[in-house]
Amino acid sequence: MNTRLGIFVGRSLVILAWGLIWELTARYELLPPAFTGQPSVFLQDFVEHVADGTFPTAALITLQAVAVAFTLGGVLAILTALTMTVFPTVERLFSPIIDALNALPRVALIPLFILWFGLGMLQKVASGVSIMYFVLLSYTLAGAKATDPDHLLLARSLGIPRWRVFNQIIIPSAVPAIFAGLRLGLIYTVLGVITAELIAGGKGLGTLVSYYSNTFDPNGVFATLIVLVIITSTLSAVMSRIERSIGKWRDPVQL
Amino acid sequence: MPLADPALGGGIRVRKLSHDYQRDEQRIEALSDVNLDIPVGEFVALVGTSGCGKTTLLDILSGLLESLQGEVLLAGEPPSAGRPDTARMFARDALMPWRTAAQNIDFALATRVQDTDQRAQRIQQLLDAVGLEEFADAYPGQLSQGMRQRVALARTFSLQSKFVMLDEPFGAVDAMTKISLQDQLVELWEQTPSTTVVLVTHDLGEAVALSDRVIVMSPRPGRIVADVPIDLPRPRSVKALQSVSEFHKLVAQLWDELGA
Repeated sequence: MNTRLGIFVGRSLVILAWGLIWELTARYELLPPAFTGQPSVFLQDFVEHVADGTFPTAALITLQAVAVAFTLGGVLAILTALTMTVFPTVERLFSPIIDALNALPRVALIPLFILWFGLGMLQKVASGVSIMYFVLLSYTLAGAKATDPDHLLLARSLGIPRWRVFNQIIIPSAVPAIFAGLRLGLIYTVLGVITAELIAGGKGLGTLVSYYSNTFDPNGVFATLIVLVIITSTLSAVMSRIERSIGKWRDPVQL
Repeated sequence: MPLADPALGGGIRVRKLSHDYQRDEQRIEALSDVNLDIPVGEFVALVGTSGCGKTTLLDILSGLLESLQGEVLLAGEPPSAGRPDTARMFARDALMPWRTAAQNIDFALATRVQDTDQRAQRIQQLLDAVGLEEFADAYPGQLSQGMRQRVALARTFSLQSKFVMLDEPFGAVDAMTKISLQDQLVELWEQTPSTTVVLVTHDLGEAVALSDRVIVMSPRPGRIVADVPIDLPRPRSVKALQSVSEFHKLVAQLWDELGA
């Protein structure tokens, strides 16, 4: 307990010291504050924009796209992974194509998404899905392959039919990997949506970042980044919590 | 050889069994001309150095591996995976971490018994028998290695199979825990006199302590080089045997047979 408190104090001191150096270099213009921003100013900007509703509105718009992309990409990925696990031929057929698509920098697709779906919510969702889908698909497939060979041998020695092996061994074995994929996928979905907003505009947080940056307002950029950090770390913490509670192993299959 | 044993029709019969497999362009002869008869209710240990094919033989008896040449019969029928009269226990516990101790036993038992109440009752009896009555709802991650092995033992015997195949069941536990697990195995087996057990082990003390008969196999290709009857009285206590000189004499004899 004492060491944990010590680490917390230490971390806070590191952040404080960093902020102080930043503040001082800006205040005494050791580095041009027009480029670096100034902590005392952007913290004030942050509080103001939270109070006047700019940040909450933008965050809500971004999070809507994230929620749709996460759900859609997640469902599609799980369905694909199930199909590929049940029919290995499908996996052999499609895995090189999927690997190639996954290696493609998705940012490069955003202009295409804009062309197809316009500048609204749909292109942001498409960008998020294009990342979420592949992250969760690869995690789920890896999880399904991580089945303990002893469990499969036991099932064989008991003469357990194939569909029950799938339900009762392969799926539960993949659960931890699926949750890891969901947690990582969520963060990457935020990334995909923000990138789309940076490029296409609209009303989300990404748009704010590009707006402040284009109007030479580094303090506005940093204030928006604070919002992004709060959102992604909260989402990540919530997912870790859910993951841990699953890790206690509730039997997902009824006896 | 107890060839004339009238009970043998229901026991295990192996004739001229040979088996080889391919590994990196090379044919490896795992078993060569193995002949073995095990009457109903006998507890037999297979011993030999690693790679002598004892696990291959057990896999063939369990139906997990198809024999290439020769004849193998369990109660007059060739072995096959999923035969309801055969149970197999693996070297590692093979417990599923997402199932509780009771649910792990039920995973096997549900393949043989339909009635849920009947299953619940038998699971409780078995957990009592292995001293885990209070751990029915514990997950494997919350149990020690010895306790997990106990659950695996209970799962194997829950099937009440005529033939039980054990592959190094206590290889992963410490010496103290091992003796108590062995005693539990002997107890479970002595309660069901018509159960035939084949135990693969490299622990000669374990082989002598548990078995009616120890089969010694030669290094690759595996063949039977000695068949040693163990005439220690039953019921046995593995713990008590540690101070019996006859026990140690038999272990020493097995060391000689192995040529070590």
